[in-house]
Amino acid sequence: MSAATLGSRMGGQLVAPFRLFRGRPVALAGFLWLLFVAALAVLGAVITPFDPLEIDPVNRLLEPASPHWFGTDHFGRDTLSRVVVGARMALIIGLGTVVVALTLGTLIGVLSAWFTSLGHVLMRIVDVLMAFPALLLALVLMTLLERSVLNTIIVIGIVYTTTTARILYGMSLKLKNEVFVDAAICSGASTASLLFRHVLPNLASPLLVQASFIFAFAQLQAAALDFLGLGLPPEIPSWGNMLAESRTYITRASWLLLFPGAAIILTVFSMNLVGDALRDRIDPRFRDDIAGV
Amino acid sequence: MPLLEVDRLSVAVQSDGLLQPVVREISFTLERGATLGIVGESGCGKSLTSLAIMGLLAGTPVRITGGHIRFDGRDLLALEARERRRLMGAAMAMIFQEPMTSLNPVYRVGDQIIEAIEQHRRCSRRESRERARELLQQVRIPDPAGKLDFYPHQLSGGMRQRVMIAIALASDPALLIADEPTTALDVTVQAQILDLLLELQRDHGMAILLISHDLGVIAETCNRVAVMYRGQIVERASSVALFAMPRHPYTLGLMRSVPNPDVDPDSNLVRDARNEPGRLDAIPGRVPAIDERVDGCAFHPRCSMAEPVCRRDDPAVHDRNGHESRCHFADTLS
Repeated sequence: MSAATLGSRMGGQLVAPFRLFRGRPVALAGFLWLLFVAALAVLGAVITPFDPLEIDPVNRLLEPASPHWFGTDHFGRDTLSRVVVGARMALIIGLGTVVVALTLGTLIGVLSAWFTSLGHVLMRIVDVLMAFPALLLALVLMTLLERSVLNTIIVIGIVYTTTTARILYGMSLKLKNEVFVDAAICSGASTASLLFRHVLPNLASPLLVQASFIFAFAQLQAAALDFLGLGLPPEIPSWGNMLAESRTYITRASWLLLFPGAAIILTVFSMNLVGDALRDRIDPRFRDDIAGV
Repeated sequence: MPLLEVDRLSVAVQSDGLLQPVVREISFTLERGATLGIVGESGCGKSLTSLAIMGLLAGTPVRITGGHIRFDGRDLLALEARERRRLMGAAMAMIFQEPMTSLNPVYRVGDQIIEAIEQHRRCSRRESRERARELLQQVRIPDPAGKLDFYPHQLSGGMRQRVMIAIALASDPALLIADEPTTALDVTVQAQILDLLLELQRDHGMAILLISHDLGVIAETCNRVAVMYRGQIVERASSVALFAMPRHPYTLGLMRSVPNPDVDPDSNLVRDARNEPGRLDAIPGRVPAIDERVDGCAFHPRCSMAEPVCRRDDPAVHDRNGHESRCHFADTLS
């Protein structure tokens, strides 16, 4: 029944975004902020008032004022320009993590549910990985790898693969017992067609919700890794790296923490709000339950 | 050669490393174009029998522990999984109890019928869509062309069951297994679906194995009936003979527990003195749990006619003119 509800709700609707936020002005504001971040990410250096990488020692640690509206850092780089450019990295990390986590998680979850003995092995590995705190797991993996954008995405992706796998495992087990799956077997469907035509489409809506939360958590995780010096290479102007670099100047130049910090908080909060709205829309029964991650 | 021959089939459930038998050496045959009804209470093993025939037990804790299932002379249990899947849908099809959940909610019904068609036949999209429309027409769905684009949730239960039947018919099967096909439907819709099945059977010449707990449904549709209790077939006969003169106390009990406003006071059904007019009888007790051991006749704890011999000996099959009964007193009953 649940799959029926989920599915039939999916059927006619990947709703127009504004209908999704009816009666949820805060979530709508969050959605608009995300659109804004996306626009910044696309336009990037084209719209920044200064070159985000240009060093200008004369104007170091300027307070926010014209022409440096967000002030400058210890190299005299324009904070506003760097925050704007950081949006692109935030988006790349978020989407990359979503792709990695959902692909691996779906693969592991669905296959584990379908092939019981394989499931015993894979899900125990997932259990072990889940026993580590997310940040610790990411730290351990990161120390084994070089600092790069791709590696950061892979590591954070693996961290969230575990929760995705677990959720999809449960849902696939339930789908496996649906009568329509038996009915499909009866009409001669192969295992591949069962999985691709009957199981995956029914998982589309939970995956969508899962994606929104993973995107948000990936931001936090990436910022934390950057801050600890284990995330993106330091020359990349990401919000996390900006926090990491400015921590020694916190008493003299608080704006250096304020603006990238605010960008992270707003983005994560917005994504969570949108995720909530999405989840309520897709399956109202989850309204007060688990957060999904 | 019968179309379907089930020969001493035994099925058991694995629990805590033990195999608990749930179907015990049942045998029956189904001829081409005939209808066999299997009737019994929940948990008597009738659904498991149908799942065993369709090969849907893989991945469940249920195992086939003995016997043969021959379809058109081929032993299904000896076939390779892939070959068996090819046979399914092509030569045999199944419809289920829950028309609410037997359709995939994310696809239009047309696509689901087309999928079944293309599973067995190479043809263009246009041809299979036309064939799907024909099938919906055959199952008497009004405006079949328009309904192809409906999602399952837009259809009523009866309509969905018709769509399921259309999917089953897609490959023109020789055998249709219907597991409680009308149980989840309104009574009026029930009759329509049964009529439809019979009509399609006449047109296509397919055999039907009808599983039901409802004697009325069986009486209306089947040539032959097998009554199951606790994994055994306790009585087997043509439906005329069975309903006219049941030879097993369990069958008798089932019949008495159906309300019947115009019972002939002299008939077998109400001869028992306890059965006052207007009172509905129930079979006392309950079906024993599968891990409960019952010596002798499986039905004796609930049987009003039980004698010491019933507690001691498992009754053999008493056959009289093809009317079989697994009761020590089969011959005194009728």
